[in-house]
Amino acid sequence: MELKILELEDRYIRFEIKGITPAIANALRRTLINDIPKLAIHKVIFHHGQIRDMEGHVYDSSTPLFDEIIAHRLGLIPLPTDLNMKFRDECDHPPDEGCPLCTVTYTLNKHGPATVYSGDLIPVGDEKFKPVDPLIPIVKLKENQAILLEAEAILGTGKQHAKWQVTSGVAYKYHREIKVKKKESELWEKVKEACPKNVLYEDDEEIVFTDDTNCKALAEILSFENPEIVEDDSWFIFQFETDGSLSAKDTLGYALKRLKERFSHLRESASLS
Amino acid sequence: MMIPVRCFSCGRVIASDYIAFVNRINLIRETENREPTPEEIKKIFDEIGVKRYCCRRMILSHVDLMEDVMPFD
Repeated sequence: MELKILELEDRYIRFEIKGITPAIANALRRTLINDIPKLAIHKVIFHHGQIRDMEGHVYDSSTPLFDEIIAHRLGLIPLPTDLNMKFRDECDHPPDEGCPLCTVTYTLNKHGPATVYSGDLIPVGDEKFKPVDPLIPIVKLKENQAILLEAEAILGTGKQHAKWQVTSGVAYKYHREIKVKKKESELWEKVKEACPKNVLYEDDEEIVFTDDTNCKALAEILSFENPEIVEDDSWFIFQFETDGSLSAKDTLGYALKRLKERFSHLRESASLS
Repeated sequence: MMIPVRCFSCGRVIASDYIAFVNRINLIRETENREPTPEEIKKIFDEIGVKRYCCRRMILSHVDLMEDVMPFD
């Protein structure tokens, strides 16, 4: 089994894996989607009644959206995660309490007229837990409205709730070789010029392309002409992006480790019986 | 009422891109007094970085009723 990274950015990765079965590829895809832990707001305590600010001006704690809708939106905001943290129920204290190893607390205090953004969420404690994207609108407030709340964020996985899903757009495809006979095609020169890196092999009679990297010109050949396509079902090209809570590289590292743990667990359990 | 935080299908955060999209659309409406063409909309999405069509439909087909609802307490 061989893994090679084709393209890597902080939140996006494209890589190829050779020498695995489609079942393993799917297992990796599913692990990437729903088995990677990340932090998300899970409990929100709203202040009701009057809210006073520093100058003594009194605001009303009503909002145009219901409290539970605001809590739902808060839960979906991506928060930077430290994978060394523990799950709430694996921590050494009763699950009702939190501690810096399993919980991060945030406060939100803003008065209208204004739009409340994710950047207004302030982590109590370390600055590094500030929301990844400060421009997510949460709710809009009128002249005399204010919002005051405290939120707790804990680790969870996508299996439990979509707010804990780290990745989006996880996809894989087979490595393909598209064989075009030069005399039967009018488009092969256009493709060779537009995407020179997609050419695998060329001789006088035929040219072989791959679509491991996307190439628009190649899509034309595939729709209008009839080339021979050979797919390798043990060579996969994966790609995914993350929401910023974890880097793409850390996510892949964790997914591979997690798959290995689960397969070992399965092997041990099966051999005992 | 407000733009959903994430795309329903893939989970990508789209709420922050919505504001950029609306600003660009209004720019075309105000400077050229017409609705943007489909080609212009596609170009705006490409430039903002919203790739998949599941995310595009979230932004394109959203009706923002927040301003209409706010006056009613």
